[in-house]
Amino acid sequence: MSKLARIIRMEFRLTVANRVFIVLTILGPFLIAAVTIMPNLLSTSVAGMGARPTKIALLGADPRFVQEISPAFQQSRIEVSAVQRSAESLDSQVRAGTYDGYLEMPADLSEVTRLEYVTKSSSDFRVLGVLQGVIGKAIVVQRLVKAGVAASQVASLTQVPTFEMRQLTKGGEKKENPDFITILVTGLTLAMLLYMTVVLYGQVIGRSVLTEKTSKTVEIMLSSVRPMDLLFGKILGKALASLLQYGIWVTISAAVLKLIGPRLGVSIGAGLSMSTLAYLVVFFILAFFLYCSVYAALGAASEDEQHLGQLAWPVIIFLVIPVVMISSIITMPRAPVIVGLSLFPLTAPIVMFLRILVGAAEPWEILVSIGLIMAATVAVIWLSAQIFRVGILMTGKRFRFLEVLRLVRYR
Amino acid sequence: MIELQSISKSFGQVKAVDKISFTTREGEIFGLLGPNGAGKSTTIKMIMNILTPDSGSILFNGNPLRESDKDRIGYLPEERGLYRKVKINQMLLYLASLKNADGSAVEKRLDKWLARFDLSEWKTRTPEALSKGMAQKVQFIASVLHDPEFLFLDEPFSGLDPVSTDVLREAVLELGSRGTTILFSTHNMEVAERICSRILVIDHGREVISGSVADIKSRYGHNTVAVEFDGVIDFGSLAGMVRNVSRYPRWVEVELLEGASPQALLRCLVGQVSVRRFEVVSPSLHKIFVELVGGPEKAGEERMSG
Repeated sequence: MSKLARIIRMEFRLTVANRVFIVLTILGPFLIAAVTIMPNLLSTSVAGMGARPTKIALLGADPRFVQEISPAFQQSRIEVSAVQRSAESLDSQVRAGTYDGYLEMPADLSEVTRLEYVTKSSSDFRVLGVLQGVIGKAIVVQRLVKAGVAASQVASLTQVPTFEMRQLTKGGEKKENPDFITILVTGLTLAMLLYMTVVLYGQVIGRSVLTEKTSKTVEIMLSSVRPMDLLFGKILGKALASLLQYGIWVTISAAVLKLIGPRLGVSIGAGLSMSTLAYLVVFFILAFFLYCSVYAALGAASEDEQHLGQLAWPVIIFLVIPVVMISSIITMPRAPVIVGLSLFPLTAPIVMFLRILVGAAEPWEILVSIGLIMAATVAVIWLSAQIFRVGILMTGKRFRFLEVLRLVRYR
Repeated sequence: MIELQSISKSFGQVKAVDKISFTTREGEIFGLLGPNGAGKSTTIKMIMNILTPDSGSILFNGNPLRESDKDRIGYLPEERGLYRKVKINQMLLYLASLKNADGSAVEKRLDKWLARFDLSEWKTRTPEALSKGMAQKVQFIASVLHDPEFLFLDEPFSGLDPVSTDVLREAVLELGSRGTTILFSTHNMEVAERICSRILVIDHGREVISGSVADIKSRYGHNTVAVEFDGVIDFGSLAGMVRNVSRYPRWVEVELLEGASPQALLRCLVGQVSVRRFEVVSPSLHKIFVELVGGPEKAGEERMSG
């Protein structure tokens, strides 16, 4: 086994054996599942939450009409019933909790332009949305039937056609592109993944490099291995550990969502094509290693954890810039600034990925971008190795950036 | 064989090492002596290729140090530590494996060394609770566990209690007798005198003196007498025969003037105090060092730290 492999193995073991790592690995999927499922659960579905069905009185409604529409309410766990009595007595029944609310229905529904839903709760938008969807549609159907349209034809006649975009490329052939929302969501997914990972593991790697200095093992290590090997080993060891953790998270989350998702009425249909998925993985891994090496350099240059924290936060800005500019990137993917950002290594992963999604990146641009990210990664690791060596002379002193560059010449 | 040919190193305006040359022979214990800041650590770092000399060359058996040569070297730096969260045996085996040494032989050696330094019970613990001296012994084990041909020790005895110093000194002597070439730096002259075959004294980055300990002693071997006594000596009355007097807590080292005889001194002293020991000696390395490098205030400092 080479020395590099031994360092990787040691760093991997050190990371994986850490208690925080184990706890995070186990709890991660549940957190992810919670974050993805809970909002859906809370806002769109009460099924399975143990809540009693919502009871709604339809004041003055025709019992036959109510019978027709009530199946459409079942999925949303709403029970509707036709009630004939005064609005005042219904008010008191709603206050007492017999009904959750009531809807005043006029005799001739086809003429109605406005319906009022009376309830105690001030923010029951879910119920209002369902009422509007089901009863509103039923009223439109009634109007059309009254106007002489056959009831069986209503559905096909009121269907709005879907609009899709086809883009002409230079070669002349037409190409299908995902829609704006899919691009936005996919781009944000990469940005969020990177952001989470960099915040979690960038710090871990920076601290691991810093440890060599604070625990004074750096000279002992350098008496056996090259500085480059030490840094590469640390970065790769931690990176493998984090990829393992991500693998576990993704697998468990996917399984959980697949098993439980449908039952809760949550869809996971991201509907990504294979090539999009491949680009996502490639740019994620490239960006991951680049940011890891940046943090390694910061770890080599800082003197304690506090100092590392100060140096580290500006790095996050490079992940925030593409997110802030995301709509400009999607709508103007060929603007010079955007092209520049898609080649600049720190912003390239997200920006270039978005440009690829909207089909506005030339193959050579993609290759140049990938090449630049890789070159930058190696360059940053080389610089860290130099800072590392210089750091031996400077233990206990704070670095100024120019001083580092000046001292790199000493070696 | 390690050969340093006129190496120099500056940091900005400060000349840390100035044209130092020496050669260590196979299987010898070579002492690099000098006061704090003399350039000892810088010299060792250059030999280890952690720093690059501005000029001059360093040869291992006639060739510049190659990456693969590092496996044959053991190094105990002045700035030394251990990973806090890693068990001691795991850490030591890891460091040995980075020298391409692993397997049952290494594990056997590990147990032997831990037992020798009375650290066996710490084997599977993390070093967080180790005292400084204990940690230093663990770090020493790290430098010798792969059974190196060359061993570089930078201030290996600093901060050790007398018992630990003895144990470590015995270990170094034993390694030397088994053929390991050992280069170590120290400002503790007594230790150097007891284990080095040859020394190089440097100050302000420059060579002050070098050679075998015996040669240096005879070169500086003025007529010196060690006297242990009860009472008070009136040194003024000895003015005609004494060049210099070094006072220690219970005894004095008297350097006689050219032509003065120890017999005359003894006669003079017997009249003043009750003499318990009177011995014609060669001067201690400590005394030579102080004479070459610094004044009496430094001597006191060195003594206290030794």
